[in-house]
Amino acid sequence: MSERLNIRRALLIARRDYLGYIKTWGFWISFFLPFIFGILAVVGSQLDLDFEPPRYEAVFDETGVHSRALIARYETRFNEREERAVLEIGKVALSEGDAAALEDIIKTGGAKAGKSFLNGKVPGLGDQVKLPERNLIFVDPPAADIDALKTFLAHEKTVKYKGEDVVLNGVLHIKAAAKNDSKNQDPAEQIAAVEVDYWSAQINAFELPNLAKSYFRDLAETRYLQSGQLSRDGLKESRDKALVFGAFNPAKISTGEGGQKVTQLDRMPYFVAGIMAMMLWLAVFSGAYMLLTSMLEEKLNKLLEMMLASTHFSEIIVGKLIGVAALTMTAMLPYLVIGIGGVIAIILFGDAETGSAIKQAFTWKMAVFFPLFLVLGYLFYGALFIAMGALAESMQDAQTITTPIVIVLTLCVLVVPMGIKNPDSAILIFASWFPLSAPFAAIARLPSDPPFWELALSAGFLALLSVGVIMLAGRVFRYGVLSGAGVKGAMAWIKRVIFRRKSA
Amino acid sequence: MTSPLSILNASKSFAGKPAVKDVSFTVNPGEIIGFLGPNGAGKTTTLRMALGLIKPDSGSVSLFGHPPGAQAFGRIGFLPEERGLYKKQTAREAIAHLARLNGMKGKAAFRRADEMLDRYGLSDAKRKKNKDMSKGMAQKVQLLAAIAHDPEFYILDEPFSGLDPVNQQVLESIVREIASGGRTIIFSTHVMEHAERLCDRIILMSGGQKVFDGSTGDALSKAPRRLVIASDNAALGERLSPFAADMRRDESGAYHMVLEPNAETHNLLEACVAGGIKLTRFEPKPQSLHEAFVAMVGEDVTNEMQLGEDSLGVGGRV
Repeated sequence: MSERLNIRRALLIARRDYLGYIKTWGFWISFFLPFIFGILAVVGSQLDLDFEPPRYEAVFDETGVHSRALIARYETRFNEREERAVLEIGKVALSEGDAAALEDIIKTGGAKAGKSFLNGKVPGLGDQVKLPERNLIFVDPPAADIDALKTFLAHEKTVKYKGEDVVLNGVLHIKAAAKNDSKNQDPAEQIAAVEVDYWSAQINAFELPNLAKSYFRDLAETRYLQSGQLSRDGLKESRDKALVFGAFNPAKISTGEGGQKVTQLDRMPYFVAGIMAMMLWLAVFSGAYMLLTSMLEEKLNKLLEMMLASTHFSEIIVGKLIGVAALTMTAMLPYLVIGIGGVIAIILFGDAETGSAIKQAFTWKMAVFFPLFLVLGYLFYGALFIAMGALAESMQDAQTITTPIVIVLTLCVLVVPMGIKNPDSAILIFASWFPLSAPFAAIARLPSDPPFWELALSAGFLALLSVGVIMLAGRVFRYGVLSGAGVKGAMAWIKRVIFRRKSA
Repeated sequence: MTSPLSILNASKSFAGKPAVKDVSFTVNPGEIIGFLGPNGAGKTTTLRMALGLIKPDSGSVSLFGHPPGAQAFGRIGFLPEERGLYKKQTAREAIAHLARLNGMKGKAAFRRADEMLDRYGLSDAKRKKNKDMSKGMAQKVQLLAAIAHDPEFYILDEPFSGLDPVNQQVLESIVREIASGGRTIIFSTHVMEHAERLCDRIILMSGGQKVFDGSTGDALSKAPRRLVIASDNAALGERLSPFAADMRRDESGAYHMVLEPNAETHNLLEACVAGGIKLTRFEPKPQSLHEAFVAMVGEDVTNEMQLGEDSLGVGGRV
């Protein structure tokens, strides 16, 4: 890299590498994929397509005590699922106070009331909540004995449901296990004396059997509690009252009613940093791999030799780094547009408290260090992968050579959840200094506000090492490409040149 | 005028095995030089050193009066021995890209690419992707890419390798055309006929060393002179023998002789006249580089070159 860099030639190489990928169908398919999936999701929700039709099942209860309770249990669970769907949206889109109000409204009025509340807070939001589909529909048993029911299960006959002929998918057969003289019709008393069989041609259908298992398990528990003159409701009540849990952060500046209590919004910066670190990892990984394949293609088709007669090798390296960086940015554009659009939409149109939490997540340190670590991480790994590509003789070679780096890169991504859960962890702090993991770990640490000097020094280390790696990549590139040397040759070269130089 | 290339006592070894040993030569402006030698002779290594792609272990290389580097960028057209193009690039993009790297402006480079493709019968390939082209077409495109910027000095490593006879003729005409513009060319080849027809000067490599460097005429002069001579006079054989290094008689009675190095044909004719021998056939055979090389490096090495020539596409890279 000692000779003066000709920017024009470097940009021409960048342009070729950029257009080489941009002009392929594969690139545009990947580019539009998020939009295509988005459109399909919207169209699907508007058309109300049913990808998994409900199963029609019957409870054939010879005891006559369980079927109603069992079906009621399913209805309760289904309602709870609907309510959870509404509440989850509310927790993301509403302030803590409004979310608590929504929870109360759902408790009393159900999911429907919750949707109306959401509509009142953010117009149209409630209507957008997609409630879960009912996956089981109970029909009355169409026959009075199990053998006759089997003909329905074999699809020889159909059953009527709301005037339409439907196929019966399963039958839960509850029968007396032994002669039961008890006059007691309490289900808890009856439990000891029943046998339950499930009949269905679809052997992997577990919804109704699982429902039955939990129902009868609860009945057994209730019976046991009753033997000690205890009630199930009493147990639930004592559980609920046992502990009122609150998480508090002494570092939080108390501004309102919650004081220093930790809320979901306080956790927002950690999640934002986690997402940003993952994006950085994806950009570095995909960019570095593209550099590897691009270098390998040119090495194998000997175009590099032609190029080297008219360009300096440093121009090729710089050109490739610029071209693939532009390509990576273009490939990530849909995600950036969707992400930035979403953030802006929440800030402008969403709940003020959530918007403010998101704004707080994008601190000046994030604005400075995210692009800095993105560039440095890309340069470091990109140059490393260029050197690997220069040494490889085939794609198999390239995979073998890059495996250790890919493992290191994969391990680096593990520090991201650590940054969310335990930002003060010694491993995370070390990882933010260690150049290979520094880009991801430093971003993951940002919400815990590490000192500026630590971040700057970590970036400085990485910058120095990146320069070293680029220079080393240049030498490996010259040696690998021009001598046609593979890994074995490179090792011999390192022994010969590096060690001899050191001893000299 | 500065010499496009000067190599002085250059040597290069790979993993301790010498590939080029103490090679020196200077390329003069306007020359067409055939760089010949069998596989492993050190031709490609020497050309790579000439371009600065690899550094010699000892000795020096100078391109246009400077060590290889940025000063020579754009002044050289280099075609490597092994061929390849970006698979998804079209022919005009491939040519224009390299022309631009060599200093041409964008539009001019594309105009030049179109013009060259039209001129060399590749108009249909202009917008064809390289992966969809035949091997011969792709090779021509790569050659055009190497020369599109109209350089001063052409380094072509085995340019005829892999081409069918028709395309070899096309390439020969391209080389002649370049040469007619006063450009300097050095090309390595196994095909001696091409060198014989095209070159002013021959450099012969064998075993990493230069074994001959001189004009094509000088090279040919190393070849034994052959003559076919016949007469109804039975004394012809006796008259010829003082001039013959080797002689045999065919079924028709004609003598096929290799002249002694110092023998002159006019002396031979005078001897026949003096002996009253009336000749029915006198046919000097043209000398060939093949024979010259047999004389210089031996039959085995020359046959090896011939083998390389037959198996087109097999490179002589070290």
